[in-house]
Amino acid sequence: MKETKSKKLDPEKVMERIAEASRPTVAGVEEKDVRHWVTIYVMGRGYSVPADLTILTAMEYAGYKFIRGCGCRQGFCGACSTVYRRHGEYKLQTGMACQTRVEDGMYLVQIPFSPAEKASYDISKEAYKVNTLLKHYPELARCVACNTCTKACTQDLQVMDYIQAAIRGDFETCVNESFDCIQCGMCALRCPAEIVQYNMAQLARRLYGRNDRPEPKHLTDRLKEIEQGKFVKPLDEITKKSKEELEKLYYSREKESD
Amino acid sequence: MSQTKIAYYPGCTLKTTAKNFEDSALAVARALDIELVELPKWNCCGTVYSLTDDNLMYHIAPVRNLLRVKQMVRDELVTDDHRMVVLCSMCYNALKRTNLRVKENPEDLQKINDFMYLEDDDYELNVDVIHFLDLLKEIGVEKIREKVVKPLNGLKVLPYYGCMLLRPKEVGIDDPEEPNLQENILAALGAEPIDSPYRKVCCGSYLTVDNKYVVVELAYKILSHAQKAGAQALTTSCPLCAFNLDNRQKEIKEKYPGFKNIPVFYFTQLMALAFGLSNECYGFDLHHTKPEPLLKEKQLC
Amino acid sequence: MAEVKYIEGYPEEIFQLIPKVHETRSWRAENIPAAMTKEERQEVLKIHPDWAPGGKRKIVVGPNQGDIAPREVVDLLEAYPLIEKQEVDLSIPDYQVDIMVLGGGLAGTAACIWAHEMGIDKDKILLVNKLRHGDANSIMAEGGTQAADRKVDSLERHYLDTIGGGHFTNKPDVLRALVEDGPFIMHWLHELGVIFDKEENGDFVEKWGGGTSIKRMHSCRDYTGLEEFRVIRDEFISRKIGCIEHFPAVELLTDGDKVTGAVLYNLETGEYKVVAAKATILATGGFGRLHIRGFPTTNHYGATGDGVVLAYRAGAKLRDTDTVQYHPTGAAYPVQIIGYLLTEKLRTSGAQPVNIDGEAFVFAMEPRDVEAAAIIRECYVRNKGITTPSGLRGVWLDTPMIELKNGKGYIEKAFPGMDRMFRRYDIDMAKNPVLIFPTLHYQNGGVETDPVGRTTLEGLWVAGEVSGGVHGKNRLMGNSTLDCMVFGRRTGISAAEYIKKGKKQGKLTLEHVSNYVKMLKEAKIKPKRRSPILLPEYRGKKSLARALHVEV
Repeated sequence: MKETKSKKLDPEKVMERIAEASRPTVAGVEEKDVRHWVTIYVMGRGYSVPADLTILTAMEYAGYKFIRGCGCRQGFCGACSTVYRRHGEYKLQTGMACQTRVEDGMYLVQIPFSPAEKASYDISKEAYKVNTLLKHYPELARCVACNTCTKACTQDLQVMDYIQAAIRGDFETCVNESFDCIQCGMCALRCPAEIVQYNMAQLARRLYGRNDRPEPKHLTDRLKEIEQGKFVKPLDEITKKSKEELEKLYYSREKESD
Repeated sequence: MSQTKIAYYPGCTLKTTAKNFEDSALAVARALDIELVELPKWNCCGTVYSLTDDNLMYHIAPVRNLLRVKQMVRDELVTDDHRMVVLCSMCYNALKRTNLRVKENPEDLQKINDFMYLEDDDYELNVDVIHFLDLLKEIGVEKIREKVVKPLNGLKVLPYYGCMLLRPKEVGIDDPEEPNLQENILAALGAEPIDSPYRKVCCGSYLTVDNKYVVVELAYKILSHAQKAGAQALTTSCPLCAFNLDNRQKEIKEKYPGFKNIPVFYFTQLMALAFGLSNECYGFDLHHTKPEPLLKEKQLC
Repeated sequence: MAEVKYIEGYPEEIFQLIPKVHETRSWRAENIPAAMTKEERQEVLKIHPDWAPGGKRKIVVGPNQGDIAPREVVDLLEAYPLIEKQEVDLSIPDYQVDIMVLGGGLAGTAACIWAHEMGIDKDKILLVNKLRHGDANSIMAEGGTQAADRKVDSLERHYLDTIGGGHFTNKPDVLRALVEDGPFIMHWLHELGVIFDKEENGDFVEKWGGGTSIKRMHSCRDYTGLEEFRVIRDEFISRKIGCIEHFPAVELLTDGDKVTGAVLYNLETGEYKVVAAKATILATGGFGRLHIRGFPTTNHYGATGDGVVLAYRAGAKLRDTDTVQYHPTGAAYPVQIIGYLLTEKLRTSGAQPVNIDGEAFVFAMEPRDVEAAAIIRECYVRNKGITTPSGLRGVWLDTPMIELKNGKGYIEKAFPGMDRMFRRYDIDMAKNPVLIFPTLHYQNGGVETDPVGRTTLEGLWVAGEVSGGVHGKNRLMGNSTLDCMVFGRRTGISAAEYIKKGKKQGKLTLEHVSNYVKMLKEAKIKPKRRSPILLPEYRGKKSLARALHVEV
C-alpha cells in the first residue's frame, strides 16, 4: 500500500504515529482491532481469541498473565513448550507458544518445566570420545530409533539422527544436527527410552567445540601480545584523548577492504 | 567392467573401536571391483534381535535401516537394487531376523510403517541382508586368489565364527556345525586354516559390558584351545567377537598368568595384507595384542 | 469482510510491490550508498526517538536529580516500592551467602563461575532469577561478539570504533577494560567448548558489524547468544552453584552504608525470602519491556528495568540515562513477530534496506541509531515506506542479496533461526525481501560502573545491560555479549577479592527505601505507581476490565 500523503510531520508527531501503529503489540489487543476470531481450548476451557495471534499472545488476550511458560517470546529460550491437538486429529503436536499461530479448535496445555538429569563434569578433563557421552548418559544406548523425539521437536530438528550419530561417535553430525536446539525438553519428555537428548547433545557440542579444532593461532598470538604489553601504550594514549581528537581519528579511520 | 555399487550398513563399532575393520573391508571390496556405499543415513541396528513378540518398538530400528536401501536405489546411489551388506555379525543377525519377522507378519510391518510416518516411504520387504562373507562366497575363491600378491604362507589361523552368523538356522550363512566360508578364503590367501570345536562357541557377546568375567572365561577357552590346535592367530567375522577375544586377553592374563597372548584379526585385514593393500587399513594400533611380531616373523610386514 | 489473499506469505497488495525490489537488486549491488558524514548523521538523528522531542523528562529525586531520562524510566524511578518495611522480617535471613548475583543471563552466570573459580564455595554463591535461569536477552543475541584478535586488528581500533559509535561519551577506563579482555574472553569460551564459526584452517570467521572499521564479529550461525549462554550455563550447572528461579528481587538491603542483601519474592506462592550477602552483583539486564515511546521490542519478557530501580533507591548513581538503543531491523510483518530482532549480521552479510521504489536509501552499516533514524525518515518523512495490514510502516530488507553475495543456500546455513521464523509464516527470505522497522533494543546507560564493575555503593557491583558507561550513548553490535562476559568475569573476581578482606556488616535494613519514600513525598510525587514492575502487562483489555481480586 503506497503512502500517498506527503505532508512533512514534525518528529514528535512521527513518534506518536509509530506508537499508535504499534499499540496492539505493545499494550495488548483491543476487541475493536480484531477482524477474525477463533476458539482455542486452554486446558479444556474454550476462549474466543483473535485469529492472528500466537498461542502465547492469545492466552494473554484471554486473560492469562504468565509467570512460567514465557521467556524470550521469540523462539530462542525454550520456556513456552506447548502440547496441542487439533480437533478431530489423532496426532499430538508440539510447538513453542510464542512461535505457533492459534488455530480454530486447537486444544492445548503448556509444559513449562521438564524434569531431566544433567550430568556434572569438568569439560577440560573429559576425553573427546563417544565413551564420554555414554559414561555421563548411559541411557543413550537404549535408543530404539523410534523417532518420537524428532516428532516432538519444536525446532523441527532431526533429533533421532543426532542421537544415533552420538552413539556411533560421529560428533560432527551430532553437533550440526543439534546446533539449533533451544533445550525446551519436549524430546526428553516424549522419549520411550528415557534419554535426555538435549543435555547429551550439550555435552557433545562442548567436547567438539573444545577439541575438534585447536584454538586459532591468531587468537593465541594476540593473547601473547597482550601479555607482553604490546597494547599498553596505544591504549594509554587513546584513553587520554579529547573528544575532538577522537572525532578526528574516528571520521578519518580507514575501513578494511571487503 | 563397470563397478558394482552395493548398499553398506556399517553399525556403530565399525565407526569407532573397529574403524580398521571397516577400512580394510572397503579396501578389499574395491580391489574386487565392488564399491560398498554407506547408507547416507542410518541408525543403530537394534543390537540384539528382540524376542519380545508383542513389543514392536524394538523392531523399528532395524526396519528403518532396511527402508534406506530403497531410497538409495531411487537416488541411484547403488547398482544392486535389493541387497545390503553388513560387516558385523550382531548387526547382521538383528537386521536379518527382523527382516524375516516382518516378512512373516505383514500386519506388524504395516504397524511399523504407520508409526514411521515421517519417512517418505514405507518399507516393502524388498531388501536382503547379507554379510560380507556371503558376497565373497558369490565372488568365489578363484577371484580372491587372483588378487593375492603376498601369500600368507606358513600362517596358521583359526577362523572363528561365534554364533550370530550361524544361528538360528534360518539366518545362518553357512553350515552351523561345519562352516567353511572363512576357511576357503584363508586357504586362497595361502594361510593354513586350523580347526577347533570352539570356533562356533559364543564369545560372551554383550556381557562384556555388564559382566566381563563371563567373557574372560569363554575367551580363555576359545583362545587356549586354538593355541593347542596350533593356531598362531584368529580371524573373526564380527567386531564384537574380535573385541572380546582380543581386549579381554588383558583380564585373561591376570587370571591365568600362563596364558600366552595371540593376535586376533578381522578376516578382511588378512585379505588386505595378502592383496598388498595400503598399510593404513590394518590399524593395528587399535589392537590389544599387537600382531606385528607374528607378521614380522612370517615376513609379512 | 473479504478474506485477504496471501501470496508466498504476503497479502497480495504487498506482494505486488516485491518485483520492484527484484528488478533493482543487481544495480543496487553495484551502487552502494555512501556512509553518512558527521553532518548528515546529525541531521537524520533529529528523527531518532531519542532526539525527537516529547519522550523524556527530568529525574526529580535521588543521586541523578536533574538528569534527563525517558518518561517510562522516570516513572519507575518515581514509583513507590512494592514492599513496606513493616511487612518483612529481616531478623533471620533465609540465605546467608558470600555473593548474591541477581539475574541469570550471560553476565550473572559468568560472574558466578568466576567467583567460584576464585575460591568462593559453591554453596556460598546464589544466583537469583526472576524467570528461569537463561530467560534473558543474552540468549537472543544473534549476530556476534566483538574481540580484536585478528593480526590486522588492534585493541585501540576496537576502542576507537566503539567510542565513535557511542558518540564519544563512553567511560574511557571502562571501555578500555572491555577491549582489553576481548581476546581473553574468546579464549575462555573456546576452552569451555563454544562452537564459533571457523574457517577451514581453524581461524575464526569474522564479519562486519555496523559501525566497525574492520571485520571483528565472531558468531555461531545466528544463534551466537544461545550457543555462548547454553555452554556457560552448562558449566554453571556442572559446578553445582546455588540457583533459584522465579524468585525476583523486589528490594536491595543495606546496613546503612553498604549493600548487604535483598528481599526476594516467590512469583508463584507470594512468599518472600531474605538474603544476606557480603557482596551483591546486579546483572538484571535492561528495560525493553517498558516499551519506551510505544515501540515494540526485541527484549525478553522480564526486561522491565528492575535493577536500575533497586540500585537507585539504594543510592547508586546512574549515567547515560537519556539514550535508548533502537535496533534498525526489527520485524514489521507479519503481526505475530512485530518487533522481533532481525540480526544486524543480515546487513553485514549483504542485505540492504530498500524503500517502496526499490531504492537503497542508506548505507547498510551505519551505527544503529543512524541506521534506525534513516529508516524512520524514509517511512514517515519521505513517505517511501510500505504500510502493513496492522498499520505499521516499514521498509524492505533485501535478504535475497545475501545469497547474491555469498552463494545459494547461505541463508539456511548462516541464519537458521531467522529462516525458520519466517518459514513459519510461509515467507522464504532467500527468495523474497522481508519488512522491517526499528525496534526497541537496548538500554545504553544504567548504573555507573568502574573498570571492575563496582558502583558508587560499597557492596554492589553491576555487569551487563544494567550498567552504564561502557557503551556511552549508543552501543555497537557485538559489544553487548562481550560486555556481559568481560564484566561478569570482572565483577565475580572483584567481589570475591572484596569478601576476602572480611569487612564487617551491620544489621540488614530497608532504611534506604524508607528514606527514598520520604524524598518522593517531599517532591510531592503521588503514590500512583509501584516498582519494580517485574513483568509487563499484556492481558486483553476486556478480560482485564472484568478481573476481580478475590482471596481464595
